[in-house]
Amino acid sequence: MAEKKKTYIEDIERTLYDIKDVDHSVYKAHSGLTEDVVRDISTRKNEPQWMLDFRLKSLAVYNSLELPTWGPSLEELNMDDIVTYVQPDAKMTGSWEEVPEDIKDTFDRLGIPEAEKTSLGGVGAQYDSEVVYHSIQEDMVKQGVIYTDMETAVREHEDIVKEYFMTLVPPKDHKFAALHGAVWSGGSFVYVPAGVHVEMPLQSYFRLNAAGAGQFEHTLIIVEPGASLHFIEGCSAPKHNVTNLHAGCVELFVKDGARLRYSTIENWSRNMMNLNTKRALVEKDGIIEWVSGSFGSHISCLYPCSVLHGENARCEFTGVTFASKGQNLDTGASVIHAAPHTSANINTRTISKAGGMATYRSAVKVTKNAPYAKCSVNCESLMLDNLSRSDTLPVMDIEGDEADIGHEAKIGRISDEAIFYLTSRGIDEEEARAMIVRGFVEPIAKELPLEYALEMNNLVNIELEGTIG
Amino acid sequence: MDAKIFSEIPMRTWRWLGVNEARVPENLSDHITKKQILVEAGQKDEVVLVNREGGQHEVQVHIADGAELHLIHAQLAPADTASTSRVKVYVGKGAKFAYTTVEAGARHTAAELTVDMAGDDSQSDIWGFYFGDGDRRVDLNYIIRQQGRRTDANMQVRGALLGASEKTFRGTLDFLEGSKGSVGRENEEVMLLSPGVRNRSVPIMLSHEDDVDGHHAVSVGKIDENKLFYLMSRGLDLADAQRLIVEASFRPVLDRITDEALKEEIDKVLQGRVANG
Repeated sequence: MAEKKKTYIEDIERTLYDIKDVDHSVYKAHSGLTEDVVRDISTRKNEPQWMLDFRLKSLAVYNSLELPTWGPSLEELNMDDIVTYVQPDAKMTGSWEEVPEDIKDTFDRLGIPEAEKTSLGGVGAQYDSEVVYHSIQEDMVKQGVIYTDMETAVREHEDIVKEYFMTLVPPKDHKFAALHGAVWSGGSFVYVPAGVHVEMPLQSYFRLNAAGAGQFEHTLIIVEPGASLHFIEGCSAPKHNVTNLHAGCVELFVKDGARLRYSTIENWSRNMMNLNTKRALVEKDGIIEWVSGSFGSHISCLYPCSVLHGENARCEFTGVTFASKGQNLDTGASVIHAAPHTSANINTRTISKAGGMATYRSAVKVTKNAPYAKCSVNCESLMLDNLSRSDTLPVMDIEGDEADIGHEAKIGRISDEAIFYLTSRGIDEEEARAMIVRGFVEPIAKELPLEYALEMNNLVNIELEGTIG
Repeated sequence: MDAKIFSEIPMRTWRWLGVNEARVPENLSDHITKKQILVEAGQKDEVVLVNREGGQHEVQVHIADGAELHLIHAQLAPADTASTSRVKVYVGKGAKFAYTTVEAGARHTAAELTVDMAGDDSQSDIWGFYFGDGDRRVDLNYIIRQQGRRTDANMQVRGALLGASEKTFRGTLDFLEGSKGSVGRENEEVMLLSPGVRNRSVPIMLSHEDDVDGHHAVSVGKIDENKLFYLMSRGLDLADAQRLIVEASFRPVLDRITDEALKEEIDKVLQGRVANG
């Protein structure tokens, strides 16, 4: 029997992301996690006492919790080797010109300022542990929109931060949430007042440059009743030969009738452990829309969670994961229906190649308080060779009888029938295969902001010849 | 393994979901019934196992190359008992394994089915039905490992939950490396008939081979209102219409039982339970 031909899907082009800057940090904490390190971070940030207390309590929780018993092995992570706080040689500024040259060059290469000029309502840029630039359009400020770094928020909007900070993802949630609570640094704070529609997206970009460092940014977004926002998060890091750790935390509060779209393209380097926690609390008639692209990192554990807490609350989750050589990407979503008439729609695609491992993991929980809940899950996996792994592990837990839950998953290769159909229409075989792969991720690509969709198309670059798989 | 754990899923997930393990039921008697079934190469056999007393049941099945077995298993233990069954099946080259199982008895039942489709061109066709009412607990873990080339696995499970019953169904299709050209389908349909029920569904699909075609689907919900409306517009009252729809869902499983007396017995048990629920 003739060997089946296979499409060669190029690895993601990383040159742009892998350019390392010289490490110009002005301060680095000792590697490892001790009370002294935590106190030191808090002192350097000149934090109020309650935040220091919170950090120390989180550290105690961290020390009391075990590593997870599920998911990718985290054995190679040695916290004694991780530097939890790296202060770049830059002060937070609202003027791009004041950002130091080498840091500015990095973000220039990634196209951040250009995007701000053309299509964004505000931009934040974090370099290692601190935010170095934050800006927002004047008319949004006039409407009462707050978009700033978390440190400024702790100082200038202390009451709001105190009310919400790590209430949705408490440190006891899991070991890395506790770690985050102890050493968090940087991140964005967004507050959209009731009824305000932020017309242009806000974007925060996180860059981790220092080798062997951790990034623990905290994103806190509050969208008040009837308001709307599109927030974009981008992440990247150059490749080092030691393990870097990302344990960020995202807490989203979507109030009655509000709408929040949260888009992420994560393209960490292949030495990164990405153990991120994202959660949204959605109140009555509120809508959370997640668009999530996972391309980078060595190991990822990422499952944005939506708690549908108010009647008619809704969640739309769209995700794509591309796992290649040396990558173990364990991604998915979870939804908790906790009020009547809540609905969710989860739609994901995963691709694995060259020994990459892609796992789709999800949970749909319908509580007794959520009659007439509806949820539809669709996940499709494409394997491009038999060196790779692709697993799906969804769980549905439904209490009561007034729920309508559907789940569908497919796994496989590019079908011969589809190739035959396209070639019978005059398209050559290589182009047909390429079209199918593009079509496979298309439902996700169309949900991305235009510049990210273009980036993703570049990332998933199809070569028209070759024989992998 | 913890003595209280009866069976585990092949890949663990979040602990808070409580689905990683099926626990050993409480008050399970020490009595173990063991059975071995060997179907020689080229032979064809049908074996019926009925569990009317609860306790622990272990079955080992070897289906040699080219052989066929239809194993029918009915768990109809009294409502005050606990029951476990552990069925391990080896399916040889070109062999066929058909399994029809009904879990309708015992207060707490845990069942594990492991099918090793080791031979090329082997087939497995699994049809199961569970019924929960009262405070019954049904805890199932079915695993099909597709190892041979061009294997064909089909897992169809239907269930209905009434009263304050709880059920967990874990169904795994595992495409091992080398299972080129294999196909696997898994489908679970759950009918929720009372507000006090709890349903957990865990359809797992693992793949270490690209040249496979795997598909799984789960649907959980109330009885389709359009069907109810149609039947009631034809003169049936609500209870009869519901009974008819539930019966229709387990009929494909029941129809595979060749022993007419057993089929009738199960039918009566289920009809009575639905009517009383």
